[in-house]
Amino acid sequence: MPESIVEMRHITKRFPGIVANDDINLSIHKGEIFALLGENGAGKSTLMSMLFGMYEPDEGELIVRGKKVNITSPAEAVALEIGMVHQHFKLVSNYTVTENIIMGREPLRRLLGILPYIDRKGAELKVQALCDRYGFDLNPRAVIEDLGVSQQQRVEILKMLYREAEILIFDEPTAMLTPQETARLLDIIRKLRDDGKTVILITHKLEEIKQVADRCAVLNRGRLIDVFDVASTSTRLMAAKMVGREIDFEVDKTAPVFGEVILDVSQLTVLDAQKVAMVKDVSFTVHAGEVFAVAGVAGNGQVELADTLAGLLAAKEGSISFKGENITRASVRKRTVEGLAYIPEDRHGVGLILDFPVSDNLASKAYFRPPFAKGPFLQQFAFRQYADTLIERYDIRCSKGALTPVRSMSGGNQQKLIVAREIDADGDLVIFVQPTRGLDIGATMGIRQRIIAERDKGKAVLLISLELDEVLSCADTIGVLYDGRMTKIAPANELSRNEVGEYMMGVQR
Amino acid sequence: MNQIIVDGLSYALPMLIIAIGGIYSERSGVTNLALEGLLGFGAFAGGLFVSFTAGIFLADSPVPFYLSFLFAAIGGGLFSLLHALLCIKLKANQVISGVVVNIAAVALTGFLAVQLNKAVFGGASNKFMLSTAPRYTVPGLSDIPVLGGLFTNVYPFELIIVVLAIVFWFILYRTRFGLHLRACGDNPQAVDAAGINVARVRLVAVIISGVLSGVGGMSFAYSISANVSPAIFFGAGYLAIAAMIFGNWKIVPTLVACLIFGLARSAAYQLILVLEMDASVTDLAMIVPYVLVLILLIFFSKRNQAPKALGQIYDKSQR
Repeated sequence: MPESIVEMRHITKRFPGIVANDDINLSIHKGEIFALLGENGAGKSTLMSMLFGMYEPDEGELIVRGKKVNITSPAEAVALEIGMVHQHFKLVSNYTVTENIIMGREPLRRLLGILPYIDRKGAELKVQALCDRYGFDLNPRAVIEDLGVSQQQRVEILKMLYREAEILIFDEPTAMLTPQETARLLDIIRKLRDDGKTVILITHKLEEIKQVADRCAVLNRGRLIDVFDVASTSTRLMAAKMVGREIDFEVDKTAPVFGEVILDVSQLTVLDAQKVAMVKDVSFTVHAGEVFAVAGVAGNGQVELADTLAGLLAAKEGSISFKGENITRASVRKRTVEGLAYIPEDRHGVGLILDFPVSDNLASKAYFRPPFAKGPFLQQFAFRQYADTLIERYDIRCSKGALTPVRSMSGGNQQKLIVAREIDADGDLVIFVQPTRGLDIGATMGIRQRIIAERDKGKAVLLISLELDEVLSCADTIGVLYDGRMTKIAPANELSRNEVGEYMMGVQR
Repeated sequence: MNQIIVDGLSYALPMLIIAIGGIYSERSGVTNLALEGLLGFGAFAGGLFVSFTAGIFLADSPVPFYLSFLFAAIGGGLFSLLHALLCIKLKANQVISGVVVNIAAVALTGFLAVQLNKAVFGGASNKFMLSTAPRYTVPGLSDIPVLGGLFTNVYPFELIIVVLAIVFWFILYRTRFGLHLRACGDNPQAVDAAGINVARVRLVAVIISGVLSGVGGMSFAYSISANVSPAIFFGAGYLAIAAMIFGNWKIVPTLVACLIFGLARSAAYQLILVLEMDASVTDLAMIVPYVLVLILLIFFSKRNQAPKALGQIYDKSQR
């Protein structure tokens, strides 16, 4: 029987209107990588936040190293040698790596033998020693705002190691990382375990769990579903447990029936803020009943193309015609009213008003017309009623219903909200940009099926995605963007996965 | 020339110490428009002490002069608790709180001065008389051309301020507390996660801004008017805020800003004297330095970066 380092007994946590954790019993062994798997909003982060002292459980007890503990603040968790890397890093942007790491536990020296001051040199040496030990390529004097995401994450890891944490919690650590960075992070996590640390990994990505975790617990809607050994469990079974049903990894798709041309883009060129051409001479058409998927590596003009079609960026040259009408210079409002729906990549910046409630966000593209407005007056009742309908129809989980502030919702549910708003407007063209980024497998499959359903209803769909799997499973026609140019357009069934990959890398042209 | 430096310093240094108070508060994330009120209330407390102890000390004793600064610091510190209470504990809007503190300071000091004077001395004056402050000239050093002005007719409080400025520079940039304070103004969540009490750091920062403003206010009372009256609210607190922004919320550049302000002002004075200008246009001439400052501010503060979390109420549960 392996030694248990953390035990949770009958842990229950309620937030207004929602039970985030319902009678959870867990035992985590010393020196293992323990994964916590669940969909967005299943209660994984809440559960571990309680171990880190950010919330207190309403019921149940926490046992660390055999002793019952009451952790009421992160400081107390740190005293118990528990550390956490949050999904949103907690770093001071204008401080150096070293300053961030030592904050709260600064090594001191004394000026003239009395006045205490921070021993910077000593601290930098300590940080450098930690970097060397774990093979991190970090300059202790670098300022945080100059560092990339994966480097900032290493600073967070070093913060825990500097505090001699033995129990390390990682909250969705790979959400913002590229595949290469993810691989390196997983190596680091293995190394930490080999060093004798206990690692708790919160994630919704099955492949990661399969790669590093020893055991895995599955949460669904706040309840603990099962705990199992990763080595002896198939990915398919894990996915089924996570979502609570069997998941179909294939998107069911019938042959497309193309209608008339809905979107006709001709020789479009777009400049970015620095006057650099990001989209160059791009032409393509999307028909009713067609999914036109744009593949490409990030930064090849996808975002600019989508923003231009939606009216957020101005076209430098070329034309966009929508249902036969030239909309190259039309306002965003006009495009919306004409039936162009846009699900943007930047959900927080463009898609939502985070501090507004669900109801206002759902009506944010129609608030100016009936039934939401009568003359200059907004009809609050119509907002509420509409929101209630959509919450139910699209299974948006929000603790206070129509009045939930969007900021407090999980990423997956925020995305569901945007999709609901755009699709329910019942336009003729839906533009999806990276629609499943950051979503768990259940939500991802839901959105892909939604894309096909829209097509089958006779809508034109433009899907812009960085994920080749997504493009291949949804597309009727594939266009590849490379360096701002549409280097290939072909029916999906005429292109192999490898061919698309080569066009994306600019190998074939 | 000498006079420009002498007057410029005695104006710039009190402003510097007030601005350092502002830097402490704002680098911790609490917007502080209350400096004006804090310096006034501090000076009021100092003046009250001098006026009411006039019979105790010998006529030419320096003790009340020095003690008045202590009382001004305490007065400013106590009054800053109002700003701290509103901003930190009650989570009110920090701009409004600052304005409220300023208005309250003007009203309260005026009212209290009249009432206290009436009760104790029988006359309903709104002033507390101060003795004239001593001034010192360092022999030898004061004879150096140009730089000699730094050592001529120096008020003792100028030395106190220089020492305080160095001490508070050290605290802000070299100590644990300073590290925590500056972090609170950038990302309070990070400070909280490091096990440090954000509210406590901010409370101390605001009190320091009150203490230093009190010292600055007392200095102005001695150097400008030799009494404490509602005239103490002549805008030095707002100028200190301008100097702080001009100095990018850093102590050394703020010192430069204060020197520019002070020297421009005393230079304008001297210019008026030399040109023997008509009284009707001197007021106009006096705005020249402020206009200059405004123009400099427009050109040089573009790259300035306010503390990221400035004015944000810290709420643990915010994502």
